[in-house]
Amino acid sequence: MAENKVEIIEKSTKQYIVVQIGSEKYGIDIGYVDNIVRMQKITRVPKAQVYFKGIINLRGEIVPVMSIRTKMGLDDDVFTNASRIIILKIEDRGALGVIVDEVCEVVTLSEDEIDRSAVSANNAKDNFINGIGKNGDALISLFEINAIIDERENA
Amino acid sequence: MDVSQYLEIFIDESGEHLQTLSDCIMTLEKEPDNKDTINEVFRAAHSLKGMAGTMGFKRMQHLTHDMENVFQEVRSDKIQVDSSMIDLLFECLSAIEGYLDNIKATSDEGTEDNELIIKELNDFIAKAKGEAVESAPKESAAEEKPKESDGSFKKFELSDTEKKTVAGAREGGSHIYGMTVYVEKDCLLKAARAFLVFRAVEEFGQIVVYRPSSQDVEDEKFDLDFSFYIASTEPLDKIEAAAKNVSEIEKVISLEIEEEKTEAAESAPASTESKSAAAASAPAKTAAAPKAAAPAAKKQTAGKPATNRTVRVDIEKLDALMNQVSELIIAKNSLVSISSTEGGNFASQGFHEQIEYLERITTSLHESVMKVRMVPIENVVNKFPRMIRDLSRTLNKKMELVMTGEDTELDRTVVDQIGDPLQHLLRNSADHGLEDAALRAQRGKPEVGNIFLNAYQEGNNVIIQVGDDGNGIDTEAVKNKAVERGIITPEQAEAMSQKEIVNLLFMPSFSMAKKITDISGRGVGLDVVKSGIEQLGGDVEVKTKLGEGTTFTVRLPLTLAIIQALMVEVRDEKYAIALGSISNIEDIPVKEIKYVQAKEVIHLRGSVIPLIRLDQILDIEPREEEPESLTVVIVKRGDSQAGLVVDNLMGQQEIVIKSLGKYINGNKLISGATILGDGEVALILDVNTLM
Repeated sequence: MAENKVEIIEKSTKQYIVVQIGSEKYGIDIGYVDNIVRMQKITRVPKAQVYFKGIINLRGEIVPVMSIRTKMGLDDDVFTNASRIIILKIEDRGALGVIVDEVCEVVTLSEDEIDRSAVSANNAKDNFINGIGKNGDALISLFEINAIIDERENA
Repeated sequence: MDVSQYLEIFIDESGEHLQTLSDCIMTLEKEPDNKDTINEVFRAAHSLKGMAGTMGFKRMQHLTHDMENVFQEVRSDKIQVDSSMIDLLFECLSAIEGYLDNIKATSDEGTEDNELIIKELNDFIAKAKGEAVESAPKESAAEEKPKESDGSFKKFELSDTEKKTVAGAREGGSHIYGMTVYVEKDCLLKAARAFLVFRAVEEFGQIVVYRPSSQDVEDEKFDLDFSFYIASTEPLDKIEAAAKNVSEIEKVISLEIEEEKTEAAESAPASTESKSAAAASAPAKTAAAPKAAAPAAKKQTAGKPATNRTVRVDIEKLDALMNQVSELIIAKNSLVSISSTEGGNFASQGFHEQIEYLERITTSLHESVMKVRMVPIENVVNKFPRMIRDLSRTLNKKMELVMTGEDTELDRTVVDQIGDPLQHLLRNSADHGLEDAALRAQRGKPEVGNIFLNAYQEGNNVIIQVGDDGNGIDTEAVKNKAVERGIITPEQAEAMSQKEIVNLLFMPSFSMAKKITDISGRGVGLDVVKSGIEQLGGDVEVKTKLGEGTTFTVRLPLTLAIIQALMVEVRDEKYAIALGSISNIEDIPVKEIKYVQAKEVIHLRGSVIPLIRLDQILDIEPREEEPESLTVVIVKRGDSQAGLVVDNLMGQQEIVIKSLGKYINGNKLISGATILGDGEVALILDVNTLM
């Protein structure tokens, strides 16, 4: 009996890495995350899309790094000791780094802890979000990974 | 049977066999009596048939089977190779290529039966049979359609060696019996049944001739019947009974083969069940001649192609290996940079020696891996003679392709992509380049137009020259056309050099063809060639002389993965410039900069070179005050030059080219990135787009 219960829970939950960007907390589906690395020297690529900060050397691989702040239309990144680059691994397109202010924790959310209706298409920032996760008192905006990797830029 | 896992191998190997066929048929056209070639052609056709059969591609099998029949006749000197036959064979090859393309695209051979070609092939054989006195055309037709056979003994032609074997057996006092065995339709293990039949009859004598060959029978490469000649001293009905004893054998037809076997075949219409014509005519005295076995065995082994000492490797595995070697080189580079910068701690001689040793090993490892990836351009260019031959027919111009340096090797990725541009250039030569016969005669040129393709290595590049001894490019006509199309103004046209005019041909949608032909002239011409070659990091140049010919020179890098580069600094950013595109480096005092049309140029040893400020085009903060002299890296592309202004030169280095990935785009200035010894990332400037 007990075992069965565990299985059922596992099926309907997902783990998210909770990161801080500005004053808000965002969640990234752990399935997409390959790696989290400390901030390092980013080589600027001239004439690239503005939200691409440049490229880094990740153990011999060249990985482009994106500023999610620029893409979402927020203030510029301020790099601190807590800044991290989340390396996302996306099928067919390879690795992509996303700069975040801080990595907080990993949470497990079940589907009924996620509010999908709070997302409206009108809010520009919401385009990158597919739901709001409720972890105790804290609200976590869950990133829609495909929107992040999409060409589209927030005006 | 699920054969999908073999599909790739099948496609690969079929392609190879087709190429062999095409090559050999080209050779045959020139030397119709070349026995080796004929044998090779036969082998290739035979393997192709077998493979198609195994994979269940019935139509393809059928076509190759009939083609093989023709080769069989050629091999046994029944048919002389002539030009109509060569044409037909090439049609066949095209049809088979069609099947193969279908298979590649959809894993299915498609529904085209190519009946016309098959009929023509059979007509060919029938005609040849008619000429060959030995048998009536009617019978040979029946022979070509085994399915229609009514269960008679199948007559077949013997090769010379087989004739000798038969004669040898006869001299030994044996009778030669011919037998055709029909296997039941729903028999599952035909080959096994055949084996049992062979074993049963071999108790009585020696099988001297197999149809199809014993190898094919073993491989189940026969429909429902197979035939053989057996030399035996026993009476025929005994042998026949033994053969019939094997289960799942529908019937056995047999007859004794007389000395004049044509007579025997005709006089013995071999009724269904064994009313064998000359059953036990002469009882034997001695046992079957043992020497008969030897030549028969020899023939079998000759049929098998020699095995190559090569291994097929998935290109992805090679790429992975290459990547790992690249990593190793990067790691080595960083060790080198540590040892030189922090010399204090690592000053021991042993450490330096080991570093040097490591350097040697990585360099040779890198070379070896590169060599593995190198393939001769032969794989691409060897389809061209055939193409030129076809073009010669369609254009009705006499021409000949002379190729040299087919063994020149290039990186696999380059070779894979160079085919189309080269093909395009050759078609251009054939169509636009060569004049028609009358004009050639008038100009005193040989009747047969000469098209050439020369490949050779030059430093870190491979040069491929494609050209002709034809008309050359009429620069006046090009100029007029360009003005007419509004690409340039008449004034501009006047000021243009010959070279610039010729380069107009590389503009998109610029075709000189007066009428659109099958071959070229659709306006997607040289610009495609140019961009294709540039994508590979190469370039193309034209030399032409009106009335004498045109030569296109294609220059390609040996490899795409690792290059020698000059590292430069602009402010605090590091960039790599491929050494191959640098002609020289100059220190230019600022006051020597001149202006032409408000653009900065320098005048250097007679040539005027435009200056490109890297900091400006790369969006780097400008310097607060200009130094007195500039470091200028002069780069070249073809004959054009440009001077890149940099802050600092860091030196030459072997760099591993890495792609920027699929996310960052709209960036033509940067062709990739590389990782330096200290782990830092430097961008590689694409000089071609700067000019």
